[in-house]
Amino acid sequence: MIERGDIKGCLAGKILRIDLSNKKIWTEETKGYAEKTLGGRGINSLIMINEIEPHVKWYNPENLLCFGVGVLVGTLAPGACRVDVSTINVFSGGKGSANVGGFWGPELKYAGYDNLIIIGKSRKPVYLYINDDKVEIREADFLWGKDIYATENILRKEIRDEHIKIACIGPAGENRVRGSAIMMDTAKAAGGSGVGCVMGDKKLKAIVVRGHGKIEVAQPERFMKIIDQCYQQCKNEPNAKMMRKAPFNLYSDPDWEGWNSNIVIKNGQDDQWEKEKRIRLMNPKTGIPAMQKGIRACYSCPIGCMPFMEIDKGKHKGIQGEGFWINTIMGHACRFDISDPESVVESWLLTNKLGLDGDYVAAGLSWVFELYEKGIVTKKDTDGVELNWGNSEALIKMIKKLAYREGIGDLLADGMVEAARKIGHNSEYYLIQVKGQPSIEPFRVPKGWALAVSTSPVAGRHLRGATMGSKRYGPKPRPGDFGVTDYQNQAKGVVWQGKTKELEDNLGICNYVGTWSGANFLT
Amino acid sequence: MKIILNSHLCYACKTCQLACSFHHTKTFWHERSSVIVFRNPQDGTIKWRMNATCDKCVDEEEPLCVKYCMYGALQVVKEVKKHD
Repeated sequence: MIERGDIKGCLAGKILRIDLSNKKIWTEETKGYAEKTLGGRGINSLIMINEIEPHVKWYNPENLLCFGVGVLVGTLAPGACRVDVSTINVFSGGKGSANVGGFWGPELKYAGYDNLIIIGKSRKPVYLYINDDKVEIREADFLWGKDIYATENILRKEIRDEHIKIACIGPAGENRVRGSAIMMDTAKAAGGSGVGCVMGDKKLKAIVVRGHGKIEVAQPERFMKIIDQCYQQCKNEPNAKMMRKAPFNLYSDPDWEGWNSNIVIKNGQDDQWEKEKRIRLMNPKTGIPAMQKGIRACYSCPIGCMPFMEIDKGKHKGIQGEGFWINTIMGHACRFDISDPESVVESWLLTNKLGLDGDYVAAGLSWVFELYEKGIVTKKDTDGVELNWGNSEALIKMIKKLAYREGIGDLLADGMVEAARKIGHNSEYYLIQVKGQPSIEPFRVPKGWALAVSTSPVAGRHLRGATMGSKRYGPKPRPGDFGVTDYQNQAKGVVWQGKTKELEDNLGICNYVGTWSGANFLT
Repeated sequence: MKIILNSHLCYACKTCQLACSFHHTKTFWHERSSVIVFRNPQDGTIKWRMNATCDKCVDEEEPLCVKYCMYGALQVVKEVKKHD
């Protein structure tokens, strides 16, 4: 039986601490933190404020890498699977965080831990193996250099347990590429703030978790009555079905309003994409929708937004994997003016495999494509790769160069602002970034979206308050009455959306299931 | 009666596994479930298994795994006995 802390009711009870420099492992009770904040991101933030001195940089051993699993994670609460990963933001130097779903978070709680806090740096590559109260820091030389898929496969063989859950970095994180992600359960990315870069800097390749314990709630019957209501709301919510097939049932219609409001073309040169390109990319019979072989959901999720893709023709035939989002359309297609469906899927799955943040790739590399167009970057700089708009193979080559720091990739891996400084020729003028982090977001048309992205504490990302009008997404009622392009009342919506996200990140509930577009059980 | 899975409708969210554990333990204890779901995100395979500890949730209106499956992948069917 796993020993618990004093707190019953959703929390696992302990926080696991790891010092990679001194190879120390210890635990403390969650209770003291949970009395001050709920959990997940809240506890991560509290620990960072208390323990990181202002002068500490992201690459210092004193920087913490914090994993916080939300309070409701591990229970049957719909969409409660999320993990907050917090550390110093490698772009801004402020507090960074990324939020990710999947199955790793619940497993950590079943192992007995609400948060995992890592300090120090290992000299050699290591991975963590957490099997309930048995926690080991193991050598990871044999994993170093391997991509996400290979790392997972090797670890499963090594540990001989098909039920382990893995969070790991790919070559990008190892090479301290600034826009690196921590990948959980193969395809779920904690992408923003460069959290994968920090993990690589600590020489921590993977965190393997297996939990056999339970999560108790204080009043089980009462808890389940509320859960029943939540599921019913998810079932009745019209947005739920829409989000289930999000990129496909919306964007496969070339006249869908989203094409005109939240799409960015050629690194932001335009906001409107030609209709024939929309149709070519998203044709239900010959485009991306035809490659969707199924849909998957994260743990305890009633929405299910994650397509399983398989490329069934062309040069990349046979490649398969989870994940394709509206960000994929915004980022890997429109931003590069690429309408070839197979290569867009391939480039997205490749970012997963190499452990890159898809948004960093899209915003950063499309900037380089524009520099190529302007003649600031030439074929000489790119080892002969022609970065013309629409050249899908060039994008795939550049993604690999970035992850492995090959040629110009070495320059871009240190962050685009730093790269712009070295490239010169006014190149920073063409770079769309907030606090140093490249941003793929639409700034011109959706006013509330632009306001939220510009003021986001995690630098240029939309999940801290973005609105797309007050009517499209549930739950209702929500503050303000405004359309996508209105200036009036947007601030009210942005503040409300940002505050409710704070709550969701503490509870561990997915935004899709929660306030953004799913059920209204938070109101 | 028995519970069957339509694998084409399954999203591998493991909600059935968790709901089942609540039936058995009044806690959320995925190791104490009659249902085990395994998913491989690399090749898309889903394995779903029910073991002999399943009592079809005799004290509930319907089995909890079926009740909480929002995708309609689980179904209760009557077992037809073959007569000679």
